[in-house]
Amino acid sequence: MTIKPTIRHFTGAAIAAMIVAGSVNAVFAADKTIKIGALLPMSGPGSYFGAQDKQGIELALEQLNKSGVNGFKFEVQYEDSACSPLPATQAAKRLLEQYKPDVAIGEECSDATLAIMPIMEQAKVPFVNAGSSSIKITEPGNPWTFRIMPNEVMQGVDIATNAYKKLNARTAVLLYENTNAGIGNAKVFSETFTKLGGKILADIGFGRDVNDFTSIATRIAGVGKVDVIPTYTLEGQGLKITQALAQAGVTKGGGGQSIQLGTIWLPFGFEQKAGKAALGYVRIVQFDPTDKREIVRGFIQAFKAKYNQDPTHLHAHAYDQIILIADVVRRGAKDAQSIRDGLAATKGFSGVTGSVEFDKTNQNIKMDTIHYMETLPDLSWKAHGWN
Amino acid sequence: MQRQTTVMRAVLNSRLFWLIVAAVAIGLMPIIFTDSYWRTNLIVCAINVMLAIGLDFILGYAGQLNLGQSAFYGIGAYVSTLLIMKLGVPFWIAFGCGVLLSGIAGMLLSLFAVRLRGHYLAIASLGFAVITYQILVNWISLTQGPLGIYAIPPPPALQLPGLPIIDFKNLANLFYLTAGFAFLAYLLLDQLVRSPIGETLTAIREDEVSAASLGINCQAWKVFAFAVGSSVAGAAGCFYASFVGTLVPDAFFITESFTILAMVIVGGMGTLIGPVWGAILLTVLPELLRGVGDLRLIIYGVAVTLVVLFMPGGMVQAARFIAAYFRSLLPGRGAGA
Repeated sequence: MTIKPTIRHFTGAAIAAMIVAGSVNAVFAADKTIKIGALLPMSGPGSYFGAQDKQGIELALEQLNKSGVNGFKFEVQYEDSACSPLPATQAAKRLLEQYKPDVAIGEECSDATLAIMPIMEQAKVPFVNAGSSSIKITEPGNPWTFRIMPNEVMQGVDIATNAYKKLNARTAVLLYENTNAGIGNAKVFSETFTKLGGKILADIGFGRDVNDFTSIATRIAGVGKVDVIPTYTLEGQGLKITQALAQAGVTKGGGGQSIQLGTIWLPFGFEQKAGKAALGYVRIVQFDPTDKREIVRGFIQAFKAKYNQDPTHLHAHAYDQIILIADVVRRGAKDAQSIRDGLAATKGFSGVTGSVEFDKTNQNIKMDTIHYMETLPDLSWKAHGWN
Repeated sequence: MQRQTTVMRAVLNSRLFWLIVAAVAIGLMPIIFTDSYWRTNLIVCAINVMLAIGLDFILGYAGQLNLGQSAFYGIGAYVSTLLIMKLGVPFWIAFGCGVLLSGIAGMLLSLFAVRLRGHYLAIASLGFAVITYQILVNWISLTQGPLGIYAIPPPPALQLPGLPIIDFKNLANLFYLTAGFAFLAYLLLDQLVRSPIGETLTAIREDEVSAASLGINCQAWKVFAFAVGSSVAGAAGCFYASFVGTLVPDAFFITESFTILAMVIVGGMGTLIGPVWGAILLTVLPELLRGVGDLRLIIYGVAVTLVVLFMPGGMVQAARFIAAYFRSLLPGRGAGA
C-alpha cells in the first residue's frame, strides 16, 4: 500500500522531468541546429549526382546527430537545382528565403554552381562545393564559396605531370567533349604536357550527340605511337570511346600500347561496364576505396551497413562536405559568418576524399583529394599513390 | 436590379476593364510577394509569357507549327549579351539589336518554311533550333560555347525626370521592367489579332487555299507572323540573360521549344490570354510542388497530361465553362432565356 503512491509519485515526477527535459531539449535543439541547404541536381540528366550525394549526406547526418557537435545538431534541406543556371537560381533563392540556412552545399555542374555563387555571396551564406571543376569558381575567388575538389587546372596539371613523369609518356592524343569542363581540362593538359617536353599528336573535340567513335579511334590508330590518351567525357560516351579504342587496337585493352587517362567525372563501376577494353586504364578518382586510413574504412563500413552497397566518390564527397562543416562547428562556428571564417581557416582537415586546406581564393590546395587508379585484368583497381 | 446586372456584364465583357485588372495585378505582385524567391519566379513568369504569346501568334493565329522558338530566344539572349560584354554597347541598343536579329532570323526561317505545312514545317523549324543550338555550342570564339558567359550585368539603372533612380538590381524593379514589356507585347499582339491582320492570319490558318483565292498573299503574312513572334521571343532572351547573369547554350536546347509549346497548349492555343495563363501555370506549378520533393516532376507531368486530355482547349476552355456556369446563375439569365 505504501509502495504504490511512491511509485506513482516517482513515475509522475519522472514523466514531468522527461517532459521538462524534452522541452528544454526541444528549445536547445531548436536554438542549436546548424541548418544546411543542399542544392543538388535531383531531376534531369544529372539526377544521379543528387541521388548519390543525398545518401552520403544522410549518412553523415546520422553519425553526427547521434551526439551532436559542440551542442549543435545538423539538419539539411534539399532543393533541386537541376544542373542548370536558371533552376539553380530559383532553387537557391527558395532555399535562402524559406529555409534560411547557415551554410549551403552543392552543386555538381559548374554552370549551376556559377549561377548560385553570387546569390550566396549577396546573402552572405557560405557555400561549399565538392563536385564542380571550372576554374571560374575560384578564380578570381569569391569570399563565400569554398571548393574541396581540385579545380580543372590543378587536375589537368597533375594528370599531365604524372603522365610525363610517372608513366614516361612523351606523346598524347586529346579526346574531350565540347563542354565547359571538357575544353578547359584538355587545354590545361595540353599546355602542361607540352611545357614538360611532350607532344600532342591530335586534339579531338566532339559534341555530346556523337554516338559512334569508330572513326575517331581509327584516326588515332593512324597518328603514330601514342603513349597516353587523356579522355574528358561523361560515362556514356566514355564507354563507347574506350571500347572503340580497344577495337582499333590502340589501347592496352585491345592489345595496343596506349594508356587511356580518365577524369574524375567517370562514375564507379565504369570498368565493369567497359569490360576488358578498360585494361590498363588510369584514371583519377575523388575517393580511393582501397585507402587504409581509419576514416575511410569507417566510412565504407558504415555506408555498407546503411545502404548495403559500396560507396562511390559522389557519396564520399557529399559526406565530406557535411563532415567539414561539422569540423568548423567543432572549432567554434555557430552561424553563417563564423562558418565562413572557420572554413577559410581550415588546416589539416582529413576527410574521406583527402585533406583540406583553402588558399586565398577558397580553393582546396591539397592534392591528395585525387587518387590515381589503374584497371587490372580482373577489372579491379590498383591505387598508384602518386599524391 | 436588371440594369445593375447588365452593367456588370458590360464591365466584365470590357477588354479595357481586364487590361486594367492585369496592369493592377502586375503592379501589386512585388508588393504581395516580397521575398526574392517569389520575385525571381515572377520575372521567370514574365519571360515565359513573352515566349508563349510570341509562339501563339505564329502557331495559334497563323497556324504555323513552329518548334524553333528556343532558337529565337537564344539569338536574342546571345546577340544582346555579346554586344554588351564584347563591344560595350549600351543595354537598350543591344536589346534592340537582339529583338531585331531574332525577328530577322524568324523571317529567314519562314522564307524557307512558307512552302511547308504541318509536320514538315515542324521538322524544318526543329532543324533550325538544332542548328542554332549547335552554332551556340561550337562557335566558341564568338559565343564562348559551353564555357559560358558569366557576370552579365542587369539593365542599367533608369533615371526618369522627377523620379528616384530605378535600379534593376532590385528584383521588384526588374519584374516591373520584364512584366511591363510582356504587357506591351501582349497589347501589341492583341491589337494585331483584333485588326484585319488577325483575321487574315486566321483565314490562312483555317484554309490556306481559300485564303489565297481571296487574294491574300499567304507567304508574306506567314513571314510577317514569324517575324513578330520571333521578335517577342528575342526580347524574352535579352531579359533572360540580364536576369540570370549566366549564359550557356543548354538554356536554349530544343527541349525549351517543347516547354514553350506546352505553355501555349495548356493555356489555350489561338487565344492570347490562354498562353499567358499557361506560361504562369507551368512556371509556378513546379515551384509550388517543390515541397513534395522527388514526386514533384511526376505530379507536374500528370497535371499537364490531364489538362490536355480533359481540356483540349486548355485553361481558356475551363475558364469559359466556369464563366458560363456563373452566368447561368445571374438573375437576368432566366428572364432573357
